[in-house]
Amino acid sequence: MKVSLFATCLTNAFYPEVDLTMAKILKHLGHTVDVPEGQVCCGQIAFNSGYVDDAREVARTLINSFERSEVVVGPSGSCIAMIHHYYPTLFENEPVYLKKAEDLIHKSYEFTQFVVDVLKKPDLGAHYKAKATYHPSCHATRLLGIGEAPLKLLQHVNGLELLPLPEAQLCCGFGGTFSVKMPKISEAMVAEKAEHVLASGADILLGLDMGCLMNISGYLEKINKPVKTMHIIQLLGEGMKS
Amino acid sequence: MTNTNEFINHLASKLGRPTPTETPPPVEISVPQYRLSNTEERASIFLQNWQALGGKGAIVKSENDMLQCLKEWFGDLPITWFKDNPQALIAWDMLPSIAESAFSTLNWPLTRYTQSSLDPRDRYSIAAHAELGITGSDLGIALSGTIVMNSDPLRGRVVSLLPPRHLAFIETTKIRNNLFEVLEEISALGTPPAAIEMISGPSRTSDIEMDLSIGVHGPIEVYVVVIDN
Amino acid sequence: MTMFNLTTDQRVDKALANNFLRQATRRATDRLRNNKYKASDELGNWEEWRNAGETIRKHVIANLDFYLHQLIEQMEQRGVHVHLAKTPADAVGIVRNIVREHDAKNVLKSKSMISEEIHLNHALEEDGAAVVETDLGEYIIQIAGEPPSHIIVPAMHKTRQQVADLFEPIAGHALSSDTPTLTRFARIQMREQFLRGDIGITGCNFAVANTGSIVMVTNEGNGRMVSTLPRVQITLMGMERIVPSFRELDIMLNLLARSATGQRLSSYTTILTPPKKSADSDGPEEYHLVILDHNRSEILGDKLFRTALNCIRCGACFNVCPVYRQLGGHAYGSVYSGPIGSVITPLLEKDWKKWGHLPYFSSLCGACTEGCPVRIPLHDLLVKLRMRKTQSGHTPQVEQQIFKAYRYLFTREKTLRRALRLGAHLQRPFVRNHRITGGPPPLSNWTKSRTLPMVAPKPFMQIWADLNNKR
Ligand code: SF4
Repeated sequence: MKVSLFATCLTNAFYPEVDLTMAKILKHLGHTVDVPEGQVCCGQIAFNSGYVDDAREVARTLINSFERSEVVVGPSGSCIAMIHHYYPTLFENEPVYLKKAEDLIHKSYEFTQFVVDVLKKPDLGAHYKAKATYHPSCHATRLLGIGEAPLKLLQHVNGLELLPLPEAQLCCGFGGTFSVKMPKISEAMVAEKAEHVLASGADILLGLDMGCLMNISGYLEKINKPVKTMHIIQLLGEGMKS
Repeated sequence: MTNTNEFINHLASKLGRPTPTETPPPVEISVPQYRLSNTEERASIFLQNWQALGGKGAIVKSENDMLQCLKEWFGDLPITWFKDNPQALIAWDMLPSIAESAFSTLNWPLTRYTQSSLDPRDRYSIAAHAELGITGSDLGIALSGTIVMNSDPLRGRVVSLLPPRHLAFIETTKIRNNLFEVLEEISALGTPPAAIEMISGPSRTSDIEMDLSIGVHGPIEVYVVVIDN
Repeated sequence: MTMFNLTTDQRVDKALANNFLRQATRRATDRLRNNKYKASDELGNWEEWRNAGETIRKHVIANLDFYLHQLIEQMEQRGVHVHLAKTPADAVGIVRNIVREHDAKNVLKSKSMISEEIHLNHALEEDGAAVVETDLGEYIIQIAGEPPSHIIVPAMHKTRQQVADLFEPIAGHALSSDTPTLTRFARIQMREQFLRGDIGITGCNFAVANTGSIVMVTNEGNGRMVSTLPRVQITLMGMERIVPSFRELDIMLNLLARSATGQRLSSYTTILTPPKKSADSDGPEEYHLVILDHNRSEILGDKLFRTALNCIRCGACFNVCPVYRQLGGHAYGSVYSGPIGSVITPLLEKDWKKWGHLPYFSSLCGACTEGCPVRIPLHDLLVKLRMRKTQSGHTPQVEQQIFKAYRYLFTREKTLRRALRLGAHLQRPFVRNHRITGGPPPLSNWTKSRTLPMVAPKPFMQIWADLNNKR
């Protein structure tokens, strides 16, 4: 299969290794990988802040860059959820782009969903010895309905002990601009999330959205707690090296 | 004050169409409902649920059972109550006959609420000072452990409300599976009575530190005798 | 009502500094939420119930004019006085007149959010009537002079010691602060009031259109007292609170009781079809129904927000909201707090200056939407409110500029690459240990409590391009 990567704006700027590793894993599974030019961002940050017109242009750019792709895969439940749930409203008055948006919706997947549900490859032969816990990001879980896929991937990692995260359903307080617009509320939320992460007894916190992980790790760092945070992709990538 | 037509027309304009003249076709509801297979099962589940809510309850099959049950629950208390208050037991005008005769046998005189005074305020006060309010029930709901009582000139709504204890009688045949069946039955009767009271257990509150406490305004103790005959 | 005079920021600070409040809110919402899960799971087909609930609510709202008319006709035919109020002031005026006409001294109230919405108590007290809130929670906050902090558990933010302190001056002696003592005190105190009440004011959970009935649920029994003992009763209802017939009532009562407190049915569910029959031995002789619009008709006419009228005020969205969990209700500043409060307050009050902060009291995690028994897409409505506020020019200039810049850069990948390279340079003064630890606002809002990863020396798009050129 020819897979086009959607390198989200966050991973592109801050965590390029996540995108790179995603490419490696997909290649390892025997697929051709390309990264269409011009792509930047799903537009969510503007959309969620109420700047719909600005969001629409950013979304249009994204749609255009994937127009010729067969399948689009991205390392974020939140960005894929943006496409699936809100692109139809964004372009409701533009039949041409509405059609293109629907095309994109049908061919785009969050990484774990793609590997487990589409490729049916829950076992990547990875080996990683650690105690880890998993934070189910809100948009991935509630908007995309991703439940089992990431867990299946993790259960197949040799040596990985997966510990339950108390009150896992609670939002970490990131919420895009929420974290800077309502910083104190956001801090209270991430403080509670950190409390639960520490209580889980895990050495590594895993997730499938760098936004949430950036938030939680930023807080854990600030309070000097040595829990490491990793995208599932990073853990798999490391685990597949050995 | 706003004129009704004006108010309604304003809504119609907001909805962008004239007000329908006929009742809109009802929505389809196809939720599978909770059902039990027979009267006996309904009675026992009703009782379980009533007890789980903190009510006391028993199934009686004979007058003797009834006597035993009342004696066990109240012992000599009524005798003590009567010393201070001859109107300690306040009741509807008519209770199931097996209950009426049990009270005569026990020699616990009942004050009939509706005849207790001509002035409603006095009646309320009598009920408020009574120790036990005694009523029948029109229907019951097994799933939620609920008794249902319709208001009626021979009854009095406060009998189940003002005294600190409430004793209700219900025949097993009156117990339905779920709320849906009860509402269906009531609506089949045409205009509903002025008040339908559905009571599920004792009065309760969790308003202070989410700590459950029983009996804030309504009865503190509630008893149901299920009559199986 | 000091809460109302503080700025949003001050209210948030105050809430976050109040450890008891935060513990209590956590404990209460956890408890209510878990009870709800039990009560919804046991049905085995909760999603079907939700679907039915949503369908019924949508149907009612789409035909609200018809059903409201039917309700009014039914009521008036039987001799109920129906009053229609366009504004909160109208509603207050109507109630005031009734109270004056009867020269009522003692007004009893059972829980009514509408009365909070129209700020009724104060007006009646000005007229010299004694107004008693009879729901225990409402009674507590009435004495404290505070608005409710949760629509189901209004005094959730009070400790039992605080409650004891509030009750003591009324009791005239010391009270121990255990719940049974406090509850007993309220029972005795209220008993006398109940028997003395001239007028009873109640809320309304549902009004049944085709029978002209009012449905009220309470657990304490105060609703029954207030609707039985006084000679005159006034029921306040928001105009959307309708079901077509008893058939739909079953679904709605199940959804309400299970979602609100995790009960199969509330302790007391009362269906009133007023007024009393002449031969009935008790019940009010005179019955008034006040139906409030207060911009609900505007919401009805606004396709984007119409679903907000589907709410049955169960409070389930409060109990899953991570923002409410940290703050409790008072930080919102509004009578209705929690997710639904953040949605309806700006729509009812139409004042961005005062209520413009509410749509942002959400991380858009979607827990509210997932928890709502009638499937109101609450978090989507919050985004739409932000959109309204933005489009009507009520957002800060700086914010508008930022998103303009965002739009420019994030539609030009190559330019963005250069900007990121610049960022990688500019971040240097703020970097400690490979993390960004400070910066200008709004970045500083983040770095006050968190660090940020460094902008990568090369963005992924550049790395990829380089890799593929080499090959
Ligand atoms: S919005 Fe939904 S969950 Fe929230 S109070 Fe209303 S009905 Fe309940």
